[in-house]
Amino acid sequence: MSNQKKRNFQIEAFKHRVVVDPKYAEKTWSVLEHAIHEIYNHNASGLSFEELYRNAYNMVLHKFGEKLYSGLVTTMTAHLKEISKSIEAAQGGLFLEELNRKWNDHNKALQMIRDILMYMDRTYIPNAHKTPVHELGLNLWRDNVIHSSKIQSRLLSMLLELVHKERTGEVIDRGLMRNIIKMLMDLGSSVYQEDFEKPFLEVSAEFYMGESQKFIECCDCGDYLKKAEIRLNEEIERVTHYLDVKSEVKITNVVEKEMIASHMMRLVHMENSGLVNMLLDDKYEDLGRMYNLFRRVPNGLSTIRDVMTSHLREIGKQLVTDAEKLKDPVEFVQRLLDEKDKYDNIISQAFCNDKMFQNALNSSFEYFINLNNRSPEFISLFVDDKLRKGLKGVGEEEVEIILDKVMMLFRYLQEKDVFEKYYKQHLAKRLLSGKTVSDEAERSLIVKLKTECGYQFTSKLEGMFTDMKTSQDTMQGFYASHLELTDGPTLVVQVLTTGSWPTQPSITCNLPAEMSALCEKFRSYYLGTHTGRRLSWQTNMGTADIKATFGKGQKHELNVSTYQMCVLMLFNNADRLSYKEIEQATGIPTSDLKRCLQSMACVKGKNVLRKEPMSKDIGEEDALFVNDKFTSKFYKVKIGTVVAQKETEPEKLETRQRVEEDRKPQIEAAIVRIMKSRRVLDHNNIIAEVTKQLQSRFLANPTEIKKRIESLIERDFLERDNNDRKLYRYLA
Amino acid sequence: MPLVCLSSPEGIEALCSDLGVDYTDVRILMLAWKLKAEKQGYFTQDEWQTGLKALGVDSLTKLKKALPELEKEVEEPSNYEDFYIYAFQYCLTEEKQKSVDIESICELLNLVLGVQFRPQVDSLVEYLKVQNDYKVINADQWINFLRFCKEISFPDLENYDATQAWPLILDNFVEWMREKQS
Repeated sequence: MSNQKKRNFQIEAFKHRVVVDPKYAEKTWSVLEHAIHEIYNHNASGLSFEELYRNAYNMVLHKFGEKLYSGLVTTMTAHLKEISKSIEAAQGGLFLEELNRKWNDHNKALQMIRDILMYMDRTYIPNAHKTPVHELGLNLWRDNVIHSSKIQSRLLSMLLELVHKERTGEVIDRGLMRNIIKMLMDLGSSVYQEDFEKPFLEVSAEFYMGESQKFIECCDCGDYLKKAEIRLNEEIERVTHYLDVKSEVKITNVVEKEMIASHMMRLVHMENSGLVNMLLDDKYEDLGRMYNLFRRVPNGLSTIRDVMTSHLREIGKQLVTDAEKLKDPVEFVQRLLDEKDKYDNIISQAFCNDKMFQNALNSSFEYFINLNNRSPEFISLFVDDKLRKGLKGVGEEEVEIILDKVMMLFRYLQEKDVFEKYYKQHLAKRLLSGKTVSDEAERSLIVKLKTECGYQFTSKLEGMFTDMKTSQDTMQGFYASHLELTDGPTLVVQVLTTGSWPTQPSITCNLPAEMSALCEKFRSYYLGTHTGRRLSWQTNMGTADIKATFGKGQKHELNVSTYQMCVLMLFNNADRLSYKEIEQATGIPTSDLKRCLQSMACVKGKNVLRKEPMSKDIGEEDALFVNDKFTSKFYKVKIGTVVAQKETEPEKLETRQRVEEDRKPQIEAAIVRIMKSRRVLDHNNIIAEVTKQLQSRFLANPTEIKKRIESLIERDFLERDNNDRKLYRYLA
Repeated sequence: MPLVCLSSPEGIEALCSDLGVDYTDVRILMLAWKLKAEKQGYFTQDEWQTGLKALGVDSLTKLKKALPELEKEVEEPSNYEDFYIYAFQYCLTEEKQKSVDIESICELLNLVLGVQFRPQVDSLVEYLKVQNDYKVINADQWINFLRFCKEISFPDLENYDATQAWPLILDNFVEWMREKQS
């Protein structure tokens, strides 16, 4: 222990001797100035980075940042002015090279200077809100070099000249271009845009305006589009190589506008090579090109679509109103299918399966198919032909494809109920004559119709198939329980449920004794197992196979209609029969009888009967004999088929009348349904709703709907509102 | 009250001559309306008595004097439609009858609407006689004739819209008129 004095230690700042040498700043600055000179003169190697940095640091520290900064500006500016002069002096093509070189130099210098002045960059400059060194360097370059009066315009025109050269096929130095353009971009997007891009776009527009004018005069549509596509791709490629990526959409817009949009209509409608010609000739490549180019311009695709639509409607209209083509329904429908295939291909190959075009195709088909009111009948006849023989030997997959195509045409029909009527008639004939190629195909089509239209549409059709099957079973049962009949003539009965089958007026004729006895047996058998039913023989729809021996011993098997059988069997008991005798004995109605005799007496190869006189037509005074001289190279001879045919005019009228009649209750049912749920509804809305409800069957006529409404008012189902005449009210 | 044998058409004819009014005069129809007579050509005792009371008359002379007032009453807008509908129903002589034949309708139109809507009635009657879509007219069509006369400008038919809820017979009539005019 001691009495030593306590000493307080105080920490104090280390004190420099502050040298306030007025000349200090000056001296330091000149060192730096000198360094900048050296840097610009490519003599930087002799400099000490550390020393220069320290100098700059000190200046800023001692509050001489202002001086340093302004000094920098002055010095750099002076140097850039010099550089500017040397660039201006460059001749011709060397101009750009010199500019590029000096630019690179400047950047290197700028970097070094910035490094040296880093302290100022980070402290003085932000505080004094001055432009940072790097940016300053760029701005000074811009102002003193690029925007110098002697350089600015020359630079632009050189750049544009090079672009033009390239467009006319010359090779240019792309690397140099890229560097110069990049320089402009580095100087700021407004420099790039004002000093290059804007004029570039203007000049390009002029160029392409001229190009397109030149081409359109001498090229056909396909060639023009090829050229346009090439130019477009060129410009895109140019951008990737030496322009700002943001310029791509701008320059492509220019090309699109000048080469495509301005000439769109002229191209599309060009005679002999325009859109319509391309469609007719299936020019997939040209069409695809047109699609790709036109999709880039406003209204491009809709223009193509509209021209295609009106063309299609025109062709379609011709097709369905050309009397020649309408002579053969099967041909007619095949033509429709071919046309659809053609356009399906065009849309998938050239138009990228674009939905807009598919819709246009569908609406066009719907339009012209319904121009001809026989379309439903013809489509049914087409199907009949296919199911009768057309699909023979065709594989299952192919069958499905064909049926699906038919369904497609079916969908276009407005009068689906007319189709249903014909389809039923034709199906009945096919089933009853056993003339269907494939049961699976028949069933497959029914399923498709059911999917499309619902159970109601096909329930009766399915009933027909069921009847055929049931009849088979019934026949088996009949013969099993009547073994004594196996030696006699074979009876095959199809029992048809009334209502499922198309109605025919049934007038029974007089069957030959053997047959009528057999038929009676069947009748009692059937009624024995099905009480409460009524059977009526449809002798106008049956067929018979008869074995015949002629005068010279020729044996043939004749396949005939029931009527024909009745007539022929008479000749087992007589050699000669007059028309009247035959009429009396068989009870066949006159026109049917005449047709039946005609097919047996007047048709070559089927003339199993002979008549006197030998006139072409059957007269009521004629006499008929068996033709003992009958010959045929076939053993089996078919006389009289019940093939579905195009209807005659009176038949057509009758069918249409029946269709109209059938529609009335459907319309009424729709009205009642709607009114029952809505209770009160105005006139326009009823019309709209009823039309909508019936759309899947047929297009309801507003006048017809009105008639039905009035009829319902009269029968007290509906009433008009007392105050508002436009409203209808449902009467429970 | 004079005893009048009214339960027969002859009785009514007699009444008419007493009143100095033709049997086919519209005022008889108006009287029937006022009396709420159910059967054409007949006034029952009840109807007669109730109706006369409503008219405020008790003698034939007073009845005759009351006829012009009756006319005015019928022509009041609130009554007119009622009278018009009554006129039609008055013609339904059979039980369950719902329509009236064209001939009678033409006469009725003349009688009931002829004064107020002469041009319309003339054209309509002409049309009804030449067309053959309809052999009879029902109540709905009848009431719409009146509405047609009241609402549609004639003869230009400018404001007629066939897509509205007018009965089809009027659509056809307008079409026929327009064809005639062109």
